[in-house]
Amino acid sequence: MALLPVGFFAAGLGAPDFTSASAVLNLLGRLAGVVGLALLLLAAALSARVPGVDLPFGGLTKLWRTHHLLGAGSLLLLLVHPLLLAFAASAWGQGLAFGTLFPPLSDRATWAGWLALLLMMVFLAPSFAFFGAPKYERWKRLHSLAGPAVILALIHTFLLSRTMPGPTDTIIWSLFALLGVGAVGWRLVFSRRIGRLPYTVTRVDTVADGVAELSLKPDRDHLRYSAGNFVYLTPFDTGLAAGHREEHPYTLSSSPLEPELRIAIKALGDASRAIQTIPVGTPVTVEGPYGCFFPPDSKARTAELWVAGGVGITPFLARMRHLRALGEGGDIHLVYAVQDESRAVYAGELRQLAAEIPGFALTFHYFFQEGPVTAPFLGTACPDLARREVYICGPLALNQLVRDHVYRAGVSADHIHSEEFELL
Amino acid sequence: MKKVVFATFVAFWSSVATIATLHAMGPGETAAAAADTTKADAAPGYTLEQVAQHATLDNCWMAVEGIVYDISAYVPKHPTPAFVLEQWCGKEATEGMRTKGYGRDHSPAAWAMIEEYRVGVLVE
Repeated sequence: MALLPVGFFAAGLGAPDFTSASAVLNLLGRLAGVVGLALLLLAAALSARVPGVDLPFGGLTKLWRTHHLLGAGSLLLLLVHPLLLAFAASAWGQGLAFGTLFPPLSDRATWAGWLALLLMMVFLAPSFAFFGAPKYERWKRLHSLAGPAVILALIHTFLLSRTMPGPTDTIIWSLFALLGVGAVGWRLVFSRRIGRLPYTVTRVDTVADGVAELSLKPDRDHLRYSAGNFVYLTPFDTGLAAGHREEHPYTLSSSPLEPELRIAIKALGDASRAIQTIPVGTPVTVEGPYGCFFPPDSKARTAELWVAGGVGITPFLARMRHLRALGEGGDIHLVYAVQDESRAVYAGELRQLAAEIPGFALTFHYFFQEGPVTAPFLGTACPDLARREVYICGPLALNQLVRDHVYRAGVSADHIHSEEFELL
Repeated sequence: MKKVVFATFVAFWSSVATIATLHAMGPGETAAAAADTTKADAAPGYTLEQVAQHATLDNCWMAVEGIVYDISAYVPKHPTPAFVLEQWCGKEATEGMRTKGYGRDHSPAAWAMIEEYRVGVLVE
């Protein structure tokens, strides 16, 4: 889609655009602006997070990665865009590069562009960890500046309206703008009204130190989901130390057959720490479901190898609970990698479920004893792993490590599925 | 990816700072303007009637803010279709230069480029 404006841009080119080095620089500068804006608007459109739209992208976490790459590409091109135009102008005289970058204040188009670019630098600085790893809340607050940045970028291009010939310019950018603005509109208006289901907290179980499992009763309709999906949860409790009215993504740990939702939450930040002690009776909203880690009906038709790291056990726990609820079995081997025994959350229930589900095998891997998961470890625990469908969920480093091991052991890339819970 | 984006971010501000520094150290606008005036004083004068005799795309003169230009050689290089320029050939074209027909001034680069085509000044 980003190539669409490029096509029209190319159609508007003529011989004069290639007559000199400065004309070519000017052309590249404009092209960088066109593609950069198209990528920015596509990234905005993907941020809508409409449930179901993530499936063609391979789940929301993969869609976020696409969004992240689009944002990076956009920022790179839009940083280069004014510089190329300034360098092109400098061919006509000293001071013109400066004049192009800093025209009189009456040049609203250029200053709208500047403002949009500065806002982009601010709201993308935490996404690309310019000044260290950001906190989720701060990142999220700053990221909302994307809205004004997109609007200013559109004002910039509409005022200049010379990137493409004739009215195509206005038409193409209006369509892209509609996608981006529609997405933001969905987020701000519709998702709040119709996308979020009201629930009430009925139980809070402390599973381990720093890990709680919330049970939620539907106030109205029950969320339809598959085992291993995740949701955005927003608690409404002014008494919380952090996270009141803030949405955060968490994986569902319950079987879709259960009457209540269960959500396992590890204290990784201020909000997830505060929610560990959320009072029973607190109203919350749930938006989702997202993700497509497992096949939608959860049945294990082929032999499977699951590798979980830490709190990455949650989607697997949900699927085990669901398999037991369905009375189904399968040829499944779960390797659960944790720091030490005290960190193995749900260890007791996992052992019990493994014993109850026909054909299920469970192996624990303790980092403090054995170091990182190795290929020989996996090969010993699960000798026939090459013929298995592989599912990995854990920290990024573990995901990559296990992905490499099983790929080298002969599992092809389309049989390896992974879900990361580190979004940045 | 993070490193590439950060490196470009730093390179961007370095380039902007370089352009600003060169500008601050270069000759001031007053000097350039003074040079312009000197040049203008010595330039031949043309009336609007004389300019009007060059009103085709092949032979296109324009008067802009008191200066007369022969832009015939530039016509094929101008980004818009030729008919946009044609309507200003042989005329006082300050409005066209300053508004492009929709209220937007030409870029500083364009104002510098047109100086290459200066042939004289406008007289009564």
